[in-house]
Amino acid sequence: MQAPIFSLLDVERTYELRGRGWLNRTPRKLKALDGVRLELQRGDTLALVGESGSGKSTLIRLMLGLEPASDGRVLYGQRDLAQLDAEERKRFAREVAFIYQNARGSMNPRMRIADILAEPIRLHRLCEESAIADRVVALIERVGLPAGLLQRFPGELSGGQIRRVAIARALAAEPRVILADESVAGLDVSVQAQVLNLLRELCRESGITLVFITHDLGVASYLCDRIAVLYLGRIVEQGPTEAILNTPRHPYTRALLQAFPRFDMPLKASLSGEIPSPVDLPKGCRFAGRCPQAQSACRETDPVLTAHDAGRQVACLFPVASV
Amino acid sequence: MDAAVALTPEAADQAAGQAPLLEVRDFSLRRGKAVVLDGVSLALQPGETLGLIGESGAGKSTLAMALIGLLRAPEVQLEGSLRFRGTELTSLKEAEFRRLRGNKIGLIFQDATAALNPCFTVGEQIAEPLKRHLGLSKWDRRERAAALMQSVGIPEPRLRLDAYPHELSGGMQQRVMIAIALACNPELLLADEPTSALDVTIQAQIMELILDRVRELNSSAIFVLHDLALGAQVCDRIAVMYAGQIVEEGPSERVLAAPLHPYTRGLKSCVVELGSRTLVPIPGQVPPLDAMPAGCRFAPRCPKAQAVCGERRPLPETRDGRQVACWFID
Repeated sequence: MQAPIFSLLDVERTYELRGRGWLNRTPRKLKALDGVRLELQRGDTLALVGESGSGKSTLIRLMLGLEPASDGRVLYGQRDLAQLDAEERKRFAREVAFIYQNARGSMNPRMRIADILAEPIRLHRLCEESAIADRVVALIERVGLPAGLLQRFPGELSGGQIRRVAIARALAAEPRVILADESVAGLDVSVQAQVLNLLRELCRESGITLVFITHDLGVASYLCDRIAVLYLGRIVEQGPTEAILNTPRHPYTRALLQAFPRFDMPLKASLSGEIPSPVDLPKGCRFAGRCPQAQSACRETDPVLTAHDAGRQVACLFPVASV
Repeated sequence: MDAAVALTPEAADQAAGQAPLLEVRDFSLRRGKAVVLDGVSLALQPGETLGLIGESGAGKSTLAMALIGLLRAPEVQLEGSLRFRGTELTSLKEAEFRRLRGNKIGLIFQDATAALNPCFTVGEQIAEPLKRHLGLSKWDRRERAAALMQSVGIPEPRLRLDAYPHELSGGMQQRVMIAIALACNPELLLADEPTSALDVTIQAQIMELILDRVRELNSSAIFVLHDLALGAQVCDRIAVMYAGQIVEEGPSERVLAAPLHPYTRGLKSCVVELGSRTLVPIPGQVPPLDAMPAGCRFAPRCPKAQAVCGERRPLPETRDGRQVACWFID
């Protein structure tokens, strides 16, 4: 097996909150990520699934090196992201592309699409100035848009078109890894289907490693071979997509699947309550408060992510038995 | 003066039989030259839930806004009829509409954070319709507001009465909006994408809550949704809209399990289900409002379109227990 392209070693991210008033200065800690362990091989497609507040976006920020880990290490290849020198940092920026959640907001409204796509090529000096125009045309055609759009401004494009431009821009520097944050959220189903098909095709034909953040298990299963489910800053279950969908072992994964709207099943509110605050986490399992099958041991012992069956890991003292 | 809400003689006769709670007949809405809604017809029986489904620009929200009198002349031109409990809504005055809104017709919007007023406590906002429509005293309003918060599953309602919206989570804010919408026991609840801003587990909770409360009050509900599978789960009937027209309407188990209109079929094949292997997007896009095709509006994107489709508009026909507007139904 090759060395992983990305490894997260017990990564933690805490934010300090100041106490209220000047007498009560004891800082409280918000743990956005707590002991996340993850390995990505070249060509992997991984979905990070979880509800708001689960730490998905923080995890991506750490993987992009936008924020340091409070504890643990984020490795790109063999190198710790926190220790990259200027030259390595530049290479990292070229090899790891990011697609923002708000595609329109991530583009300068006063730049034409052609310039937006040319910027990364120029920045990383990937080709001669005279060849840039051809490359930009090739990029826009690769995401299924007409070259005529190149002279437009982001404001003139539809929601589906702007997402495609965001994908094209991510591809511009010929990255090895693409990280994408909710890149199809809020699109109409038929446009969403187009963008999903495009992403899937690109990953398959170019062998790009993809990390896709989503709250939608359906989207995750369509796009990715592996799924990691996050809850309150921790991975509670991860494994091959098929296994996660068919035989979820963690009660939270099962609840997410049950709440997913389906044509052939009645509506089911599978969980009560809401995701608790990541400030002052309870001792024991952090899901215990909402778990339908929590036992007293769950409130005492914090389960760690351990290997289960075929390539799957689960963090639960009493995993759901197979049916 | 409650004349506007009282039954006309004609409607009173109807009420004796099986009168629909809401009847939309050949309703069109224009903005200048653009025909935003084109000949929409629908009927909703008491106790029924109806889902309006379609992509952005289909006119789902526009229809909902017209039903509650938030889109009216002179900004838009209305034609045809909207009857609620026998009252013609298209000719109601603003003051008369105000007596319906929040009273007989409850409203739930997509974005609770935007719909709630940040300057008032949630207790005050729940109490407002109780004061305006029911004229309850201050003490009674507070009691009733606490009871309503309890009924929508807000823990410790008495403590939360004095909370401002920003102090509550998105799910809790949505519950507050449901409490406001249901405060006066409305006969019709209009919910415009009530859960699309929420996580799936919260979405299931909120939808279950809305359905429970609607059934308890024996009210009817119209949901504007973009999620077809959710529509199948919560609606008795489904109306699929495309470019301002209803293309297929009927019992949700029929329309969604075995769609007849090519657009409904196309939509369904785009839906990401758990473990979907292939998604087949509908080619092309919704035409702009000022350049609608003359015949069937879906014809330019339809895999089955023929010459007649581009020339004449198909009218809804009854087929297999539903209404379908297509020249070539199998």
